[in-house]
This record gives sequence, structure tokens and C-alpha cells, in this order.
Amino acid sequence: MKNSSQPSPPKLFSHLYIERDVLDHPQSQMIRRKFADSQVILIDHYKEVFNRPSQSFAAQSHSKKLILARKEGKFLHEGSQYSDGFGHEQFFYASSVKGCLYDCDYCYLQGLYPSANTVLFVNLEDVFEQLRPYLGKVTLVATSYDTDTLAIESLTHQTSMWLDFADQYENLYLEIRTKSANIKSLRSIFPNPRVTLAWTLSPQEIVDRYEHATPSLEKRLGAVAEAITLGWKVRLCIDPVIYTEKFAILYPELIEQIFRTIDPEAIEHLTLGSFRMSQSHLRSLKKLRRSDVAFYPYIVRDEMATYPEAIETHILETLLAKATQYLPKERIRTWQRQS
Amino acid sequence: MIYLITALDAEARPLCEYYRLKRDTSLPYTLYRSEEMVLLVSGMGRTNALMALSALLGWRIPEDKDILINIGICGAPLEYRIGEALLIHQILDGDRRYYPDILYSHLLRETSMRCVDTPQSLCGDYPVDMESSAIFQAASRFFKLHQMAFLKIVSDHCTPELVTKEGVMELLRSHVDTLDTLISRLRAIQKESSFFSADERDTIDVFKTRFTKSQGDALEDALTYFRFRNKGKFPPLNLLIPNSKRERSLLLEELIATLTA
Ligand code: SF4
Repeated sequence: MKNSSQPSPPKLFSHLYIERDVLDHPQSQMIRRKFADSQVILIDHYKEVFNRPSQSFAAQSHSKKLILARKEGKFLHEGSQYSDGFGHEQFFYASSVKGCLYDCDYCYLQGLYPSANTVLFVNLEDVFEQLRPYLGKVTLVATSYDTDTLAIESLTHQTSMWLDFADQYENLYLEIRTKSANIKSLRSIFPNPRVTLAWTLSPQEIVDRYEHATPSLEKRLGAVAEAITLGWKVRLCIDPVIYTEKFAILYPELIEQIFRTIDPEAIEHLTLGSFRMSQSHLRSLKKLRRSDVAFYPYIVRDEMATYPEAIETHILETLLAKATQYLPKERIRTWQRQS
Repeated sequence: MIYLITALDAEARPLCEYYRLKRDTSLPYTLYRSEEMVLLVSGMGRTNALMALSALLGWRIPEDKDILINIGICGAPLEYRIGEALLIHQILDGDRRYYPDILYSHLLRETSMRCVDTPQSLCGDYPVDMESSAIFQAASRFFKLHQMAFLKIVSDHCTPELVTKEGVMELLRSHVDTLDTLISRLRAIQKESSFFSADERDTIDVFKTRFTKSQGDALEDALTYFRFRNKGKFPPLNLLIPNSKRERSLLLEELIATLTA
């Protein structure tokens, strides 16, 4: 071969696959304007692209494509055993996006989806319709549960739409979980006390090693501090903790670093939890063979893989001991396998 | 290995000259080879393409770092220039659609393409060829979607009767550089197939025979974990395994603990 030039990485969302039916949806039009140079490929149904056999999640992760679609059926799913509903009468997560802009090695989406591409369901108005009948009771909705909606907020404006909707319903509580440092959309909105912004934080070494394409710890902490100053309710999550040989240094240092920047009084909760995953997702992760995270000798019980009990306890005790130097125990939530 | 697939001998000829490929008679299809490339002339139409490519891929099974390019001429509507090279991002065949993954940057014009039964004398909405959907179908059993590409050169505006053998050869000759660039782009995004070397693989397999299937799987996981954490290193595996079941289990437990510490 004469030509051996190295390709530059393709632009993010170099290809927009758009369902014919949503081509004229205002959100599709807005996205097409933003990505005016991207290839537009018309499709009938998002599954013909997203669910293709023979995709490589790993290869696609370096060149993600965007699929715009209409969601049919249920947008809302009941919260799972792996998550914390914070004692609300009802807990749902809303799936208006499939896939994530970020690329964390420990992410269960790799086991869940055949593709690293992102599907954006543009008909968010239908989620609101589906949610309304439930709002007679106190209801928590996690809007960023199996994705990071804030990471693509400048593209979708979905978080802003959720915030507008939440303003109208007193029983509706939102949790927006993120690793993003982009909180531009929150600057112009009056903070809603029923909305919690939950930042996942990890030591920078863990970010570098396992949380590809995510903002640095410093940037996330900057966003947390700004959100607090703006008046938003904030929860911090050190979850999932990835156990490595440097755990006992990295994670206590993380807690110190957090509270050097953030006033402990200003946060609602701190959530601590070690890595856990359903066995079937873990199996898929192993097949992809992308990172050591998938190959740790976890203990599998009731279809769930966790660190061995002694390590899990060590993780929680170490972190609790450090965290309680800053926060009362009641404001620290932990995830541990029920034995 | 680079797999090139053309329908016509006239398409293959300039590529054989450029890449110095030699005729290979291993299969009952027209095949040319060099050390790193194999070029198959499938014949025209879906059925020929499906059969010829299936035979080739069954004979020489691709690896993770291999790539496949279907290169050839196509008819196209007027907005496509004669001689223009097109990279296909969607193949339409009746109700079916196929999507190669284009995960690299390039300067080619991208388009959808229809795969049809016969040469077309009426132009529709997209360029047309007669093999791409079959090639996609056969290839996607062996290749991931980002390992294949469909490169088509516009030969006519749906006037197939005007296409000559010499004309086809000239069109292909004028795009060997385009093909070269595409090959290097495609190759750059493929990963090495082997995580462990052949020797390491042998050692692991021999070692695993002394344990149960689930113990062997746990050991393989621990070795993979170790390799990720210690790039390029491989731990010494002592092949003196105790006969007692209990001692073997203990040995394995200790080994896994060491590898994943
Ligand atoms: S940010 Fe969350 S959803 Fe996105 S890749 Fe990471 S773990 Fe997965």
C-alpha cells in the first residue's frame, strides 16, 4: 500500500440516521442544523441501525453516530433493585435516550445494547403524557438513568423540558444523574427544590483509566460548586467504586478533595456504592474484552456480581470513616448487597 | 488480509496490476492473491456474489483485523459525476436495508445505493449496482460492520449499454489511490485479534485441562485481568498441578488471588 496516512478521528455524530416519521420534528430539525455537515441517512425504524447484528461496540465508541427516532410504547420503567428510590412513593426512570456520549468501561450499557451509538427519542412530549396519570402521588423520576442526558443537553434540551414540566407538578421529583460539567442550561432556570442534580465523582486516576470521554474530576467539581451557588439541590455519588490496589489511597483522597471544594452543608446526600452488575451484563462485558473491570473475580449471587463481601465491607467502611468526618451518617447513603 | 471483491474481470484487472496480484486456483472462482491481499471476481448479480464470497470466506476465514472492500462500477442519477467515487452508507434492496459502519474520516462522497436485479436504463433516486446487498449479507457473517466498505465508481447515468470493458478498466485505474487511502483508513481502526500470543494461549489451554470448566473460566478471567493491568506481561504458570481435588482448588484460588491483587 502506498498510502499509509493515519485517519483523523471522525467528527462526533458524523452520521445522523433519522426515522422518516421524525424528519420534520422540531428537535430533528434543530439537530440537523447543528450537525449541518453530517451525513443524513433516512431509515424506517431505529432498530434497523441500532440493533444490527455484527456491530462492534468497542470500535463504534470512537465514532459515535446519532439516531433520531420516535419512541413507541412505554417511556417509563420502574426503578430497579440496583438503584435507590429515596423513599418516594413511586420511582420511575425515563428512557428518552438509548446509549451514552461517554464511554465508561464499567457501564452496563455495553452489556445491554448491541451498539455504542446514541438513539434520541425526540417525542419527549409523549413521556409527559405517560407520566401525568401517576402524578397524584409523590413520584421520583430519574431522567438520566441509563444515559447521561446533561452530556448532550446542548443538543437535545431535554433536561430543560423536564425542568419546565416539573415546575407544573408539585408531586414530581426529578433526579438528574450526570458526569457532565456542562450546566449552561441550568444557569437561566430558577432552581426547583424538587429537582436533585446527582454528580458521579471518581478519583482522577479512575476517570483516566475507566471513564473515557468524561470531564475531569476538577471540571465536575467546578460544575457541582456552580450548581450549588445557583441554588440547585445537589447529591454526590461515589458510586460505583472500582476496587484497585490503590483504593485505600485514591478514594479517601477523593473525599478530601471533594470537601476542600464543596461545603458539606450544601449537599443533600452522599451516596457510596461499590461496583455491581447483573451477571448477564457482566458476561456481555467480558465478551467485549475492553477492560480489566469485567474480569475481576466477583462473587455472583442471585444473578448479581459484586466484590467479595470482605472487600465490599472494606470499601464501605473505609469510605464511611472518611465521609463521616464531613457529613452526619444520616446524609450518607450506601449500597450494599442485602445478605 | 485485505479482501477485495469485484463483479467483473475488467474491474479486477487494474487492481491486479497495481497490487501485483497473482492468479490463485484454489477455488472454482477467479481469484488473485498476494501475501496481504486476496481479490475475488464474483461474477455479476446477487446470486453469483453470494456464492462466490461465501466460498471464499469459508475457505479463508477472516480475522478481527482483516477488512473487506467491494469495489466496482455503478450506474447513477445525473447529480453524480461520471468517474466519481462513492462510499456507500446504506444499501437498499427491496424492503431490506444494510448499513456498513463508517467509523473513519474520509473525503469521499457518501450515498445510499440500490441493489437491483438487472442493469438499469431508467435512473431512480440513488446509484445502483447488482451485488452489494449479497456481498453485505455474506460478509457480515464473518466481518464486523466496520471491517467492510463499499466503494463504487460511477460509470454511467443509467446507460449501461454504453459501458465498455476499456472504460471500466480506466475508471478503476483512475481510483487505485482512492482505494489505497480507503484501505489504510479501514485498517487503522481494526484491532489486533489476539489478546494472548499463540504460546501463551497454548500454556493457558494446557493448564486449564487440569481443572473443571468453571475453574478454567475463572482462571482465564484472572489472566485477562492480569494482562490488562500489566501490559505485555504474562505470569509464570507452574504446570505441576497436585492430584488431589482439594489441593488443586486451593492452588487455583491462590493463583487467582495473586493475579487479581
Ligand atoms: S456516564 Fe453513565 S451511562 Fe454514560 S457510559 Fe458512563 S456509566 Fe454509562
